[in-house]
Amino acid sequence: MAEEKTTLRSVGRPRSVDAAQASLALLLNLVRTGAATTRQELERRSELGRAVVADRLATMIELGLLKEGELGQATGGRAPRQMRFRQDAGSLLVSAIDQSSIALGIADLNGQMLVEHHEAAQLDAGPEAILDRLATIFDWLLQETEKPAPWGIGLALPGPIEKPAADFEIVPVLQTIQSWQGFPFLERLSMRFGVPIFARSGVQTMTMGEAKAGGGRGLSDIIYVKLGRSISAGLISEGQLHRGAQGAAGMIGHSRVGDELLEAVAGAEAIAREGKAAAEDGRSPYLAQTLERQGELSVVDIGHAAQLGDLFCVELLGRCGRLVGEALAPLTNLVNPSLIVVGGVVAESGGDSLLAGIREAVYRQSHPMVSRDLQIMRSQMGASSGLVGAAQVVLEELFAPAMLQGWVGHGSPLHHPEFQKSLERVTAALASKAAQPAGRVAP
Amino acid sequence: MNSKTPGDTAMSIAGLGPHGERAVPADQIQLTQTDAAQARGRRFSVAVVLHTTTSDWSKQELAGIAAALGLYSAALVEVVDCNFDFELQVAALARLAREKVDAVISIPIGNARVAQAHRALTQSGRRLVLLDNAPTGMLPGTDYASVVSTDNFGLGQSCAAMLSAHIPQGGAAGILGYGIDFFATHEREIAFRKWMGSHRPDVTLVRERFADLDGAGAAALAMVGKTPSLSGIFAVWDVPAMKAVQALAQKNIDIPITTVDLGNEVALDMARHGMIKGVGAQLPYDQGSAAARVTLAALLGLPVPPWVALAGREVTPSDVIEAYQVIWHLPAPRTIIESVRSSFAAQIQDAGE
Repeated sequence: MAEEKTTLRSVGRPRSVDAAQASLALLLNLVRTGAATTRQELERRSELGRAVVADRLATMIELGLLKEGELGQATGGRAPRQMRFRQDAGSLLVSAIDQSSIALGIADLNGQMLVEHHEAAQLDAGPEAILDRLATIFDWLLQETEKPAPWGIGLALPGPIEKPAADFEIVPVLQTIQSWQGFPFLERLSMRFGVPIFARSGVQTMTMGEAKAGGGRGLSDIIYVKLGRSISAGLISEGQLHRGAQGAAGMIGHSRVGDELLEAVAGAEAIAREGKAAAEDGRSPYLAQTLERQGELSVVDIGHAAQLGDLFCVELLGRCGRLVGEALAPLTNLVNPSLIVVGGVVAESGGDSLLAGIREAVYRQSHPMVSRDLQIMRSQMGASSGLVGAAQVVLEELFAPAMLQGWVGHGSPLHHPEFQKSLERVTAALASKAAQPAGRVAP
Repeated sequence: MNSKTPGDTAMSIAGLGPHGERAVPADQIQLTQTDAAQARGRRFSVAVVLHTTTSDWSKQELAGIAAALGLYSAALVEVVDCNFDFELQVAALARLAREKVDAVISIPIGNARVAQAHRALTQSGRRLVLLDNAPTGMLPGTDYASVVSTDNFGLGQSCAAMLSAHIPQGGAAGILGYGIDFFATHEREIAFRKWMGSHRPDVTLVRERFADLDGAGAAALAMVGKTPSLSGIFAVWDVPAMKAVQALAQKNIDIPITTVDLGNEVALDMARHGMIKGVGAQLPYDQGSAAARVTLAALLGLPVPPWVALAGREVTPSDVIEAYQVIWHLPAPRTIIESVRSSFAAQIQDAGE
């Protein structure tokens, strides 16, 4: 073994740097995903020669990306030593920002969440306040967990996120948060920690989170529906997240129900409004009492009332469920998922009445083959799915073969030449913005 | 948040659950007469696994669990004291997964290191209700039924607000933090920092951590040594707070401290107008009682919320006797009552002079 390492490293020396990067990237991903872990398996899967494989593995051990693990299954002769990806070579910072809460966490390089924290927050506090909060808690998480320096930040934001034109290019505006337009939120966060940042819509990261660690684990075709103030859906088809041409796929809340948008009749605010009307005109004695006590009603109160058997609330949630189900049915027919996961505050509060409504409409309007084995469940991950998904986004980006080839030889994505350039550009752009005369206000 | 009675907690829970869940107040978890009759008929057996059984918090928690289970003819068949040792907890859970218990109420000691043992217990068919903490990655429904906790975020905010009064403009405050990865103490510390950051940005925060209780006194001394201008300390629970009080007193250092939980020693120190100036107290008896009701509901197959929380109660030296009664469901000990009376008499005398 020792002899192999010393003699063959020169034999396997590549002719071109590109070929070396490509083989390093290929082998790293095979080990990282568990597709092949012994030298023999790696040679077979990569179709690279023994000497090349040995050389590349030695390089990646030196770079701190791989380590030798325990003995594998012997297939005649000596049991082979398994290669392991060093999931502790770096860390990932992740955050999911929603209309009324933020979630933050730190994950290892396998996307395993190590610590997470959720707290109430108001988006209308402005981007500066949210940015400051994120930086404070990220600092605290890094200090608390004593994990190695981060390799990237994954961010889930309310509303669709445009696809960037090139690697490490930061998407320019946060289109769905009006008051944030023109504020360099992603740039500032990326610069603050000196790491690349990757953003997706909240519903897309939640879909990825459910597929990785929730109800969709091990499934290749799932739909995730987020029922909150707005309504949107995420789709994983044949193992891949579907983002759409502009990155805005899944905005089912904009389907029409009569003359109204779906989210205007079945979103959290619509449900609260209906509940308040029923409290005031006597249709729901329970809500009337709650309204008198609290002075306001939310979908949580309506869910609680339904659980206690308040007929008005049971019917209201059932009707909202059916409306959502009617919007989901065509999507179900189109993509034939094996699972629909329903999350968001309306799903958390809505209980069985809401779920029954969704099931009724989806099963009634779907082709029998499509609905035969289809499961519809409530999310168990809650807002954690956004964090797990954000970590997945960072991993998929950093370890995408083209991107990986750009940094694998340096041992860390932070040394990727394009990222270095991007960081310089952002720094220069922010400096010039800061130098401009005061009084320029974001629209 | 704190002038409210334990039964009126609906509006005062500040923190979100381990998966960002909005809390369901513990008093909303009630069994109907039909459920109660069914529970009594099935004579459930429940075991409890705690980090320690010797702390005041644990004793009250157990009393609440035992009383509520007993009310519904469920037997509390075993109480495991893990003595803060996660390996003991892992072994206990593995054993309980083979024994004749229907459900386990457990407080996970730490995070990732005990997650698998808790998962395996649920996979063995037992119902699992967690206190205070769900290890990262464990999911309600699949891995456990529910987490029942005090609003630790609210407790941290309370402690910051109470300590703030003792910190001069531009002063420094210390955090005596727990060096073990634990959700409840994380939440308290994050909330303390957040409150200080938004209400007292002039205050500099420093921190020392202790990995075991015996190190808490030394950590407090180290913090004062490094920052001599320190004007106050927040300790993440009462036992390390009292270790700090003892260590500081030995060096003749007197510094205001706020902490979580009204243990006997902390209550006495407050009554004597010692270093402890304020407490954000959990209501462990009520928490235990709620955990028992959640456990029974889960055993009956009823839907249970993933995050059930109770608001805490602020305690200051002026209402330590009344707070003691609410939290402990007992009259305050004679020593506490006499200390309050004598310091009150001294105050009147001071005022007269």
